[in-house]
Formats: sequence, structure tokens, C-alpha cells
Amino acid sequence: MNVAESTPGSVAATRGPSFAARRRIEGWLLVLPALLLIVALTIFPLIQALILSFQRWDLQSQEHPFIGLQNYRDALVDPRVWGAMQNTGIIVVGAVALEFLLGLGLALLFVGDFKGKRFAMPLLILPVMVAPIVVGLTWRMLWDNQYGAINQTLSWIAGREVNIIWLGHRDSALFAMIVTDVWQWTPFMFLVLLAGLSGVNPELYEAAALDGAGWWQSLRDVSLPGISRVIAVAIIFRALDVFKVFDLVYMFTQGGPGTSTESISWYVYQLGFKFFRLGYASAVSFLIVIFLTIVATVYVARFVRGAEA
Amino acid sequence: MEAKPSIDPKHRDALEQFARARASRRQVLHGAAALAALGISGRARPAAARSAAPSLTPAAISAAQRALRRQTADSAQAAVDAANALDPKPAELNLVWEDGLQLQDPTLFSGPMWEELTGIRINPIGKPFPELFAAQVAEHLGQTGAYDVITYPPSWTADFVAQGLAEPLDAYIEQYMAPEDLEDYHPLYKELMNYAGQRYGLFDDGDMIILYYRRDLFDDPANQEAFEAEYGHALAAPKDWTEYDNIQAFFTEQGGGNSWGGASQRAPGQVYGWFSEEFRNRGGRFFDDETLDAALDSQAGIDTLTRMIESNKTMPPGIETWGFVEVLTAWMAGQIAMVGGTWPPYGRWSEGTTAEQLNWVPETTVAGKVGYSVMPMGHSLHNAGFHLGVSVDSQNKEAAYLFIQWMTSPSISLQRVMLPYALRDPYRISHYESEDYRSRWEYAGDYLDTLRAAADTALLDIVMPGSSEYHTAIDQMVTAAQAGGDIAETLASGNAAFNEITDRIGRESQKEAYENFKALPGAYYEE
Repeated sequence: MNVAESTPGSVAATRGPSFAARRRIEGWLLVLPALLLIVALTIFPLIQALILSFQRWDLQSQEHPFIGLQNYRDALVDPRVWGAMQNTGIIVVGAVALEFLLGLGLALLFVGDFKGKRFAMPLLILPVMVAPIVVGLTWRMLWDNQYGAINQTLSWIAGREVNIIWLGHRDSALFAMIVTDVWQWTPFMFLVLLAGLSGVNPELYEAAALDGAGWWQSLRDVSLPGISRVIAVAIIFRALDVFKVFDLVYMFTQGGPGTSTESISWYVYQLGFKFFRLGYASAVSFLIVIFLTIVATVYVARFVRGAEA
Repeated sequence: MEAKPSIDPKHRDALEQFARARASRRQVLHGAAALAALGISGRARPAAARSAAPSLTPAAISAAQRALRRQTADSAQAAVDAANALDPKPAELNLVWEDGLQLQDPTLFSGPMWEELTGIRINPIGKPFPELFAAQVAEHLGQTGAYDVITYPPSWTADFVAQGLAEPLDAYIEQYMAPEDLEDYHPLYKELMNYAGQRYGLFDDGDMIILYYRRDLFDDPANQEAFEAEYGHALAAPKDWTEYDNIQAFFTEQGGGNSWGGASQRAPGQVYGWFSEEFRNRGGRFFDDETLDAALDSQAGIDTLTRMIESNKTMPPGIETWGFVEVLTAWMAGQIAMVGGTWPPYGRWSEGTTAEQLNWVPETTVAGKVGYSVMPMGHSLHNAGFHLGVSVDSQNKEAAYLFIQWMTSPSISLQRVMLPYALRDPYRISHYESEDYRSRWEYAGDYLDTLRAAADTALLDIVMPGSSEYHTAIDQMVTAAQAGGDIAETLASGNAAFNEITDRIGRESQKEAYENFKALPGAYYEE
């Protein structure tokens, strides 16, 4: 028997792929169904939408000609796109800022022990579990100028009848959307920040206390730096989610009065699923994706990775 | 060898009479086939007839039998018989339907009844109204065949036809529907079923907007005296919008902030109808006839929008956000003296309802106190409504047609428009004249007469490609004005939106569509 023939390598060569190669193939086989599913459900529609964005695809026409970048050019000068982006921006900034402040406050409260904590916690996170459309319907009734509890409460506080038409004007309607979103999603921010605060090493607080740091200094110099990455992630999560605001616009104002409270998701929905201008709706959608990708990339590079560094 | 159909002897006289009475080519052919059928059934007949009878195929004989059925039975029975004779008979039909209350009818009433009669199960698929259009178009684009029966307001007809979504129904109607049942449709709705020379839907919901008022308040002598003294005309159902606003202001003043003279639906998504009705009553036209340029900013547009905004001031505060339910709540609570136009269910629900499905409707305090009137200026709007159609992608087109013929037939549709929980409203002559319906409450006859009178002179929603976009543009224009926008500017923005839609769809093709729309009886009225 030849010595060379008996080496492990030569045995492998005669019996097929190496162990590592087999592992790789098995790995691919295992993920293949999921991969195909993702391709079928995500990538294919995405490519289809991209193709549509270069076509004039309107319901009233049987022909769908290729028009290059025309839809994109139209979208960039469409005042309703810019109006909707502005409204969306106001809601994102207002809602996320308030959710962060309130969520942080609650997290700081709940990171310590107090009586009734175990009872209060489930109550606090309840709104997150409610379907957004139900939240919209419920809060629409609350904001109702005549029968709603909000005006009633304000009337009791003011000692005279308060009749604010919350959903009849742009500014108050956007305010109503922000407050409603804050009610539902502050608990999410709270839970994420609470998890972050719970992970801060208690010895750091002890050291700070020994150095004479007060509550504010501990918060500023220990807690916030300790959870900065968590904050960054929580904010981007919420911002991306609020950017898609649709349910509240649908339930509160239908984008009105006029088009003054349209969010970008609402406008795209109108274009795509009410008027079936699929080509144009796809182009606007891709512009949003591009915009969000740039914002998210810069944000992650600046804050998430920055915090990591 | 194919079995030959036979004819029931008890139908023979009718058959011969039918054969003699009809003169049209098609009917002569049917008659001849029927005569042949007599021979095939082996009954005695004159030798001359025997010798003259052509040799006909079983299909022709079946056609003769169907024609006979059209003459002797109503369309409901004809549909049931034909469905039972289908071979193969489908096990199930899928209906796309507006969900909520509308869905209760096929779920609880017509679906189970049809299954009992034919063995064909009905599967209603509910969609919220805003998704109804998208769901049907999307399924058609995907050619899924998900729906056999489609449902859509007449104003969508042009878009559905442009997409090739709706099956033409004329051949089915010819084959299966009793002619007198077609004639039983109110003329407006019968005409509304036509689009570009074809019928694509069977009309199924008479959504006439009429005015509701508090008869007890109007009949009160003290109110009458005070009102006439202040405004110089009698307190009665308003004939024009000036009278309407006077009455509204009068009762609002009396209400002292707790009740109001009137309310109309002013919320986004609902208000376009109120503008388009008054605008055309004032002589407004949506487009220039020659150029198809938008013409919303005409004097009629200025007057309409100005008056609507002014009128809001004597309606309940926040009326800009009030839709169907908000107005209903105030009306049922007795807080408003008039509803400045709304859909017919108000009339039925005002008299009280015990249906479980309506437990969300506020308890009525106005039963027996409601009067009805055609809208001010004489032409009420037919707003929305529904056609039932057959999807071109259906694998069961004939069965689907038979089901909708049965649903909309005089006998079945009468039951459906009287269902306490349903939202289908009268649309047949036999509905308006039904003794059963007219005896439902003290003033039910007035209610039905008003709905019929309103339909006699009704205005229609825009029926053109892009109708939904045009309506939305009007809606956005009005709500922008309600939020404080300048009247001239908002009308100009409405015009701009109209022109953009027209140009995008194609001005020339829209000109043709507009001519089709103008040919409908309720497009405009020349005074």
C-alpha cells in the first residue's frame, strides 16, 4: 500500500467534498428555503416596484410605457410630496422627542424600587399592545370637539366650556397625532431605556456618589453615557416607525382639511391604492427609501457607532 | 345521444301565446323553438304545425324554455331555476362586499337563502369602503379570480370598464331577466346601469340624499309665527338654500348652544357631494364643454362655496369634522332640527330599531316626528349607491350573474331594502309602492314618495374615468375653504387639480367620457 494513498487528504479526495465544504453546503441547504421565501416575498416585489417606477402606470390606461426618470422628476417638484414630508417631519420630531423624554423619566423611576411597581408596569405597557387602528378610533372619539373627553376635561379645569376643534385645523390635528402617538409608544421607549439603565454597572453610581455627585450629575455623567447606544437605537427605531404614520391620519383627518395633514405614507397610499397611479407611487416610495437610507446611515455612523467608539 | 328536453304540458298554452305575441327576430326564433319543443314532447298538434316545425337543437329548445320562464316567473325564480340547472354547478361563489352593516345582508340573509334554494354557498368577503376599489382592481390585475361577484358605485364604472374588470351583462339579462323586472327599476337607476352602450352592473342601492326635518318643530304654531315674523316666509321644508339657512339660523338661535337648526356632513371624504349638488343646482358645470378645462371657479362655484362656509356658522361647532355618524348622533338625540341632506337609512333608523347589529346607533328621540323633503333647489344628489357585477376573472360567471339577478329581483330586493340592519335603499318602482314598506311607520309613505321624487330629478356623481380623483379634488377644495382658505384660491386649486387629472388621463379621451356622462339623465339640468 502506498503511503500517500493512506493520507486523510487523499481519502477525502476519493470520498467527495471535505468536512468543511459539506458543512457549508448543508448550511446553504438549510437557509435556502428561507432565502427563497425572502426573495419571493421581498426582493421580487421590490424589483417589480422599481421597474414600475420607470413606467407610466395609471389605472385609466391599458398601456404602461417606459418613461425613464420622469416619475422621479415629477415627485421632486410635487408640492404635495413636500407638504406631506413636512407634516411627517413635524410628527416624527414632536413624537420621538416627547417619547424619549417621557420614556427616560419613567425608566429612571422604574429602575429603582417602589411600592406598586409590579402592578404599574403591565398597565404602562398596555398601549403598545393595542392595534394602531383601534388607538386611532379611540382617540378620535377623545379628540371630538363636542362629545370628546379631552374638551370635557379641559372644560372642568378651565371652569367654562372649552370647544377646541382639534381635528378641523392643521396645527391642532398634527398636535393631536403627536399626543396620540406619544400615548401609544412611550412605553416602548420606556422599556428599551429601562433595559439599558438596568445594565449600567451600579459601582459607577457608587463611585460617583463617593465623588459627591448629585442626582443630576449622576444622570448626566453616568446614566446617559452608559446607555447612549441604547438611546441611539431606540430613537432610530421610533423615528423610522413614526415616519410611516398612516393609521392616525386615516382615522383623524383623512389628510384634510384640504391636503394639509397628509403624511407621506398617506399620500403614497392615496396615489397607489385609491387612484392606482402605481408608477408614480412607486417612484415616490423609492425616493422615501433613498431619503431614509441616507438619514439612517448618517445617524448610525454619527450616533450609534459614535457612541460605541 | 343527447337527451331531448321536454316541456311541461301546463305551460303549453302560454308557450303558444308567447310564440304568437312576439314579433322580434329573436323572439320569433324562440317561438319557433318552443313550437318544436311541443312536437319533441310528443303531444298532439296540428299536422300543418308539425310539418312546419323546423328541426331544432336541444340548445335552441332550452332557449325557448328559458324565454318562457322569463315570461311566466319573476327574475328571482328564473335565477333559482337556472342556477339549479347549471351543469356543473359551482359549490361556492365569492362576493366582495363593503363590510360592516352592508356585509350583514349576504352573511345573514341573502347568502343563506340562496344556498338553501340552490345549494351554492355564498362566501362574502368584506372590505372597508376605502379599500373596495383597490381590492377589486388588485385582484383583477393579478388575475386571481378571487371574486365572482363584484360591487361598485356607478361612478367607478368607467374605471372598471377601462380596466376590463367587469363582465358585460346584456346577454345574461336578455337570457334570464323578466323584461317587466327590468322596467321595474326606477328610470334613473335603469339608465345608470348603461355605460357606453353596455350594461356592466345591476343597480342595487338607491342612495338618494334627501333632507330630513323635525315635523313637530315645523308644525308648532309658535315657531311658525315667530319664524315668519323674523324672515318673512313660512316655516316649511326649504325650497332653496336661503330658506334653509334662515330656518337653520332660527332654530340655532332658539337652541342657545344646546341644539341647532341644522347639520350636514362636512368631514373630509364626505363633503364633495354637498358641493357638487348645490353647484349644479346653481347652474355650475364641472368642465368647459369645448376645452374640458375645469370650471369650478364659475359664479356657481363661488356662490356655493361661500354659502356653505357661511352656513357652517349656524351649524354645531366643529361641523367641519362631522360625518355620517356624528350628524346621526345629534339628530337621534333631538339636537338638530334639520339634516341638510343625508342617505336614506336615517329615515328608517329615526323610527327606532331593535336589530342587534344597530346597537351602536343612538336611541331615537325623534320617532314619529320626522318629515322628508327633496333637497333645496329641487335636485337631490344620488351619492354613491352600488352596482352588482360579475368579474371577468370569475370561473363561475353564469352562476354569479344568476345570484345577482336573484338578489336584485323585485321580490328579494324588497326584503333586502326593508332589512332593519341593512344599508340597501329603495330603487325599484315596486319598492316605492310596496304596501308592506309603506305601512312600516306612520310616515313611511312620505319617506318613500320623497325618495322617489328625489330620484325623478336627481343629480349623479361624476361617472368618468378618474371620478374618484375628481371627487377627492372637490373634497380637498371644500375642506381647505372650511379651514379658512380663501374662496377664490381654493376654487382655483380645485380647478388646477381637475386639469391635472384630465391631462394625465388624456384630454381627448376625457372629452368623449364627459359627453357620455352628460348624456346620463342626472348629469345636469338645464333650467
